[in-house]
Amino acid sequence: MSQQPVIVLVDDEEMVITSIRAYLALETEYTVHGFTAPLEAVKFLRGHEVDVVISDFLMPRMNGLELLAAAKDRQPEAARVLLTGHADKQSAIQAINQVGLFQFLEKPWDNAQLLLVINSALERTRLVRDLARKIAELDAAHSTIKEAQRRLIRAFL
Amino acid sequence: MEPAQRIAELETALATAERQLIESYPMASLGRLLAGIVHEINTPIGSIVSNNEVSARSLEMVRAKLRESAETGTPPPPKVLDVLDTLVSLSAVDRMACDRILSVIRGLKTHSRLGESDVRAASLPELIVGALKLACSEYKRRVKVETDFAALPDVECYPSQLSQVLLNLIVNAAQAIEGEGVIRLSTRQAGGMAEIEIADTGRGMTPEQQAKVFQQGFTTKPPGLGTGLGLSISHDIVVNQHKGSIEFESEPGKGTVFRIRVPFTQPKP
Ligand SMILES: Nc1ncnc2c1ncn2[C@@H]1O[C@H](COP(=O)(O)OP(=O)(O)OP(=O)(O)O)[C@@H](O)[C@H]1O
Ligand SMILES: [Mg+2]
Repeated sequence: MSQQPVIVLVDDEEMVITSIRAYLALETEYTVHGFTAPLEAVKFLRGHEVDVVISDFLMPRMNGLELLAAAKDRQPEAARVLLTGHADKQSAIQAINQVGLFQFLEKPWDNAQLLLVINSALERTRLVRDLARKIAELDAAHSTIKEAQRRLIRAFL
Repeated sequence: MEPAQRIAELETALATAERQLIESYPMASLGRLLAGIVHEINTPIGSIVSNNEVSARSLEMVRAKLRESAETGTPPPPKVLDVLDTLVSLSAVDRMACDRILSVIRGLKTHSRLGESDVRAASLPELIVGALKLACSEYKRRVKVETDFAALPDVECYPSQLSQVLLNLIVNAAQAIEGEGVIRLSTRQAGGMAEIEIADTGRGMTPEQQAKVFQQGFTTKPPGLGTGLGLSISHDIVVNQHKGSIEFESEPGKGTVFRIRVPFTQPKP
């Protein structure tokens, strides 16, 4: 993450987005993209790299789980957080299993806790991306060795 | 004990149990909507709490900057204006959030003034909006609600009782809709009475079901979702207490329309 972390926030209530955006603007330099329409968020996720996706659960047309599943599909490394007003254990468990949820937060949320979750989510995303890069490097190194080996063998044939 | 006496005793006990069941129905039906109501209030409260924290911190910051500028004789940095802009927009959000909470509370108040025994002139659209607030927090994301209120004089009625009827009809309509659909609520003057219509695009009812809807205990819903008391109580409230009428048309797979009529005035006791 060379530039500022990018956060996507989805809630069908504009007031939630306004409040969280104001808080994050006060506390951090993060870029926040807010969406009241889940489908718009999905469209955005197709073309932009993001680090954390935070979503409400009950929304029209697409619920939070469906949205986070779409996010996982498009950007598997971005950490996924569910922010819900339904203290519904069932959907929480379902979410953790289905979409590989990073955290589950309940409304009314606590700002300090929200920030803590966002920061550890960012850390996780960074680690996952680092790991992916290391593996790619190793792969590249491995194929370089393979190639050298092949050339060596050919030289002796 | 004589068998006849025993039977009489049992009948009294049964009547008492039935009355208790009916008396507890309004609170029980509200209880089933509680999760949705809590959700409806949690969102604005979350916003207000968050905004309050941001506002307090922002004000601290503005004060520090203004003090610094007064002490050094330099104009305050333009950032102060940005912070003030944010504060203005947050207070607008707070206003909206409070209105949201208030309208739910107002709905709850109308609904829970159950002991209220006096006839009072009430606005039907207001009663409908109050009932919608309580019912629809759970359904509003999948069910579209359309309203069409014709200008109507206030109606003399037992408002909390009518609110009970409306709540049941709205919940029935929402529960009849699987997935997405529409509930249309309208009021008009018809035949010298005030008329309320509640139409849904839900599953409708078969002729066998239609024959039983007003029977006490008839329900097609699983335990926890329905007791089958709603329409029998609604019928009693509209017909016996208000001298009005309640009727419906329903088509399986298409939807249902319930129509209530109540007179504008109630007889003086
Ligand atoms: N709008 C509707 N569309 C389809 N079926 C309906 C509608 N309204 C009522 N019904 C049918 O009539 C039955 C009885 O309704 P009623 O309101 O009396 O009880 P309930 O809704 O089942 O339980 P409760 O009112 O206690 O929640 C329902 O279970 C349902 O089968
Ligand atoms: Mg009912």
